[in-house]
Amino acid sequence: MAAILTLESLSLAQGNRLVLEDLNGEFDAGSITALVGPNGAGKSTLVQGIMGVLRPLRGRVRCQVPHARRAWLPQQLALDLSFPMSVEELVMSGCWPTHGSFRRYGPAEYRRGQAVMQRLGLQALEHRPLGELSGGQRQRALLGRTLMQEAQLLLLDEPFANVDAATVELLIETLRDMAADGVSVIIVLHDHDQLRRLADRVLHLDRGHGHWYTPQTMAWAPNGQPATAAATTQGPTS
Amino acid sequence: MIDWLISPLLDFGFMRRALVAGLALSLVAPPLGVFLTLRGMSLVGDAMAHAVLPGVAVGFLLAGFSLPAMSLGGLAAGLLVAGLAGSVSRLTGHREDSAIASFYLISLAAGVMLISLRGSSVDLTHVLFGSILAVDTTALWLIVGVSSATLVVLAAIFRILVVECLDPLFLRGQGIRGGAVHGLFLGLMVLNLTAGFQTLGTLMAVGLMMLPATAARFWSKRLEGLMGLAIAIGMLSSVGGLLLSYHAGLPSGPCIILLAGAIYLLSALFGRYHSVFARWRRRVQPILPPDAHG
Repeated sequence: MAAILTLESLSLAQGNRLVLEDLNGEFDAGSITALVGPNGAGKSTLVQGIMGVLRPLRGRVRCQVPHARRAWLPQQLALDLSFPMSVEELVMSGCWPTHGSFRRYGPAEYRRGQAVMQRLGLQALEHRPLGELSGGQRQRALLGRTLMQEAQLLLLDEPFANVDAATVELLIETLRDMAADGVSVIIVLHDHDQLRRLADRVLHLDRGHGHWYTPQTMAWAPNGQPATAAATTQGPTS
Repeated sequence: MIDWLISPLLDFGFMRRALVAGLALSLVAPPLGVFLTLRGMSLVGDAMAHAVLPGVAVGFLLAGFSLPAMSLGGLAAGLLVAGLAGSVSRLTGHREDSAIASFYLISLAAGVMLISLRGSSVDLTHVLFGSILAVDTTALWLIVGVSSATLVVLAAIFRILVVECLDPLFLRGQGIRGGAVHGLFLGLMVLNLTAGFQTLGTLMAVGLMMLPATAARFWSKRLEGLMGLAIAIGMLSSVGGLLLSYHAGLPSGPCIILLAGAIYLLSALFGRYHSVFARWRRRVQPILPPDAHG
């Protein structure tokens, strides 16, 4: 399959601190790539760089996917949970990138919204305010927004944090379905069991550099972190 | 009772103009206030209200008591302070609210200094506290024009504001810079504060923006509910405050804002959500079995 996202000698900085240097790689349609690495390794920085929120210091991000089809599932802490919005309204806000400020959401969109909520088990919660949801329910609602957006590129930042086991299963299943439909998924993960079950490839970020693995070739240190010595390749591997 | 309510409006043109001005301001200022509270910027509105003062003063110095000159000056000063505060925040990395607080204090002192150079304390009082009963036809057109324009722009950026309040990175991921939306929103706020200063004064114009919005939060958890209620509270305060001011011979601006303040206090005590009463009532509720939560 063709790469829909390419990183070319990408260097990213936060303020005046260089976080990632000379990163290369290709992401295919329908692939699931796990981003791993210790805290502060630059996982979130790379996600921001890919989303176009952070400008590259050097190199470039080539993305074939238009902005309206790039979806983003932030860490839960990044959301203002006191905002008066219901589950249904959050899911429907996935239409915003394609509908803009003025186009009405028609019956077809609302039907699709209902189908998305049903798929994620959110029907009973559709009118519940976001602030009253559990971590798992909120994560399902956020994934509902990205399904509504009909994303072709989906970036997720630690989506399984503070989420119950049943929701993790549902999210993994939904993400696999999305990948089977051609969505390229990039997901920041810590748990290597989840990584083995979900990812096709692994991009390990450590001390500013990226190392590519498959889940099978990935070596783990006893502390649960990826073992850097076992790096096999660097650069595009697909 | 009906006579008490209607006769001042039928008998006096200045009361009718004041009523229309109050209702027009109540239609747009409270929704702006709702967004300010949701963005955690409640005090920024207050700071910006002070920031328009030097501009109003320069207008007053150049053209005397000319509403267009003073409004234009106020608008320019407000936008300048908002722009400068935003720039300082971006260039230094300091939070924007501290930059706005610094600039509004400078503005307030500069404004009082400028007015005292030429005017009397009566002029200063008028600028600071306004006089809704002195609204003439020019002022009325200005207020109605600003309210209409604000309504249109707010409708145009409504969805973006909602998305930005909840999840700013989602918006930036779509290639829209939150700073532009934020700037436009601050611009709308300054525009409304400028329109409101003639009627309520620079210091109290922000009252009609914030008090209905903060009171509404005790009654609704939905955005439409907050907006609708805030508008209703704003209108009720404007009409009630005007009539109170007329019948009791009290200054109109403080009457309107105090009435809105009374509604806020009552809401904080007896509102449906998070009020003192609601919290007390919740405490005595029996513990429900888990399946009763739905």
